Amino acid sequence: MITFDQVTKRYPGSHEAISNVSFTIEQGEMVYVTGHSGAGKSTLLKLMAAIERPTSGTVLINNQNVSKIKEATLPYVRRKFGLVFQDHKLLYDRNCYHNVALPLAINGITGAEAGKRIRAALDKVGLLDKEKAMPITLSGGEQQRLAIARAVVSRPSILIADEPTGNLDRNYAADILQLFKAFQQVGVTVIIATHDALGNAQNENTGHQNKVLHLDHGKLVNFEATT
Amino acid sequence: MNAWLTQHIQALSLVLRRYKTNKVGTLLICLAIGVTLALPSILYAVLDSVSGLTNSLRSESQISVFLALDHNEDAVATIKTALENNVTIKSFKFVSKEDALSQLQAADANNDVLNSLEKNPLPDAFFVEPSKLDTESIENLKKQLSKMEGIDEVIVDGAWIKRLNYLLLLGKNAMFIIASLLAFALVAVIGNTIRMQILTQHAEIELSRLIGATKSFIRRPFLYAGALYGLIGGLFALLITIVVIYLFNQSLAPLVAEYQTNFSLNLPSLFTCAITCLSALVIGLVSAYFAVSKSLFKSIH
Repeated sequence: MITFDQVTKRYPGSHEAISNVSFTIEQGEMVYVTGHSGAGKSTLLKLMAAIERPTSGTVLINNQNVSKIKEATLPYVRRKFGLVFQDHKLLYDRNCYHNVALPLAINGITGAEAGKRIRAALDKVGLLDKEKAMPITLSGGEQQRLAIARAVVSRPSILIADEPTGNLDRNYAADILQLFKAFQQVGVTVIIATHDALGNAQNENTGHQNKVLHLDHGKLVNFEATT
Repeated sequence: MNAWLTQHIQALSLVLRRYKTNKVGTLLICLAIGVTLALPSILYAVLDSVSGLTNSLRSESQISVFLALDHNEDAVATIKTALENNVTIKSFKFVSKEDALSQLQAADANNDVLNSLEKNPLPDAFFVEPSKLDTESIENLKKQLSKMEGIDEVIVDGAWIKRLNYLLLLGKNAMFIIASLLAFALVAVIGNTIRMQILTQHAEIELSRLIGATKSFIRRPFLYAGALYGLIGGLFALLITIVVIYLFNQSLAPLVAEYQTNFSLNLPSLFTCAITCLSALVIGLVSAYFAVSKSLFKSIH
């Protein structure tokens, strides 16, 4: 599904954000990417989502080598992912409905079919009644859920979330994680970057088999399944 | 095909939505484009109408050949043959002094003066229309005719029309220069507007890139916006032109009545309207394309 082979990423004029990382994530897995702030979690997610290209090594997504894909076909690779960004990246000039509509528009889905999917996505995250609300009027947790609705509306096979529970209190965070688990249960690969131990704590309660990718200064120090 | 059409309808509706949220701004920009385009358009209408006037006058451009009053009867026949054989003459007409007098009597109500004349003061005359209208040919023809026996005077009419035509040509050249300079101004205005829009839509553009929008998907709405600015501006220009010409004709009417002609500025033809709108649209599209390729993808990556 997603395979990293000796991947290194160096930003110009900077140290190696990711150095010599290798791992494989299978379809339908739930993976936590952990590590301290600045350990390279965000960079790792960007490499997975074909937003960044590796400086060396190979990143395979569905057996496609990201480094060798032409610039023009990159957008089509990116559409396989649902992305939840650290800073939400909600558009504040339009209501919730139209925020969720954007990925569908990019995929060329409009009209009644789009309406059905948008409402289904909003319903899944519990924001169906806020369809016409502007994102600025939503609470932090609601904004996060709106971002998730936007990430899943085009039914991606891989869901990538960068610090989705970062600014939320414990109860909200647990809700959000529950939401991601629900997606994993229907076969979506879910990859979550988190700097706190909350993810691990949640796993122990549910007993699901999750993997943890632990990064330290850009190096993969631990990749194991927790029970 | 269907997906292609959907994409374009999508982009167009997005542009219209953006226009709707910024009605005043859109209106002002379109008005600016309209005024800019109206200038050469009105100038064209004036030049077109005046050159139409000179075209109707050109058929009257001719050489008048007056015969001496004391010429003998053979002279008329000799001159007639000479004119018939001259290749630089398109056509000619003979008006005898009797015909000329009766024409004058018919045209002028003041017959008393004419009747009081003891004898016909008018000469026989030929009215010659040369085949070539340039100065040199007409001068040559005039010289040839003057030398012929029995001819008293050769008068070239309509030399002023030629001068007017040169002035019109000058005016047309000036119009093209002004139009092209204003086109550059339009490129700057529309280009800047599109650049501003790109800045305002920066968050959306960046997000769209991250979640898999192609470059053309992002570019398309801006190209449509530019083309639409041009088209609406072009329509405004036509509206302004028509109103100005209408008002001008209204105030021109009493003056024209004094001269007993029916000169008025022509409204732009359907073809001219189409050309104006089309060129405005193309200018909008081109300037949007430049603005987009200059600044759209610079901010990302």
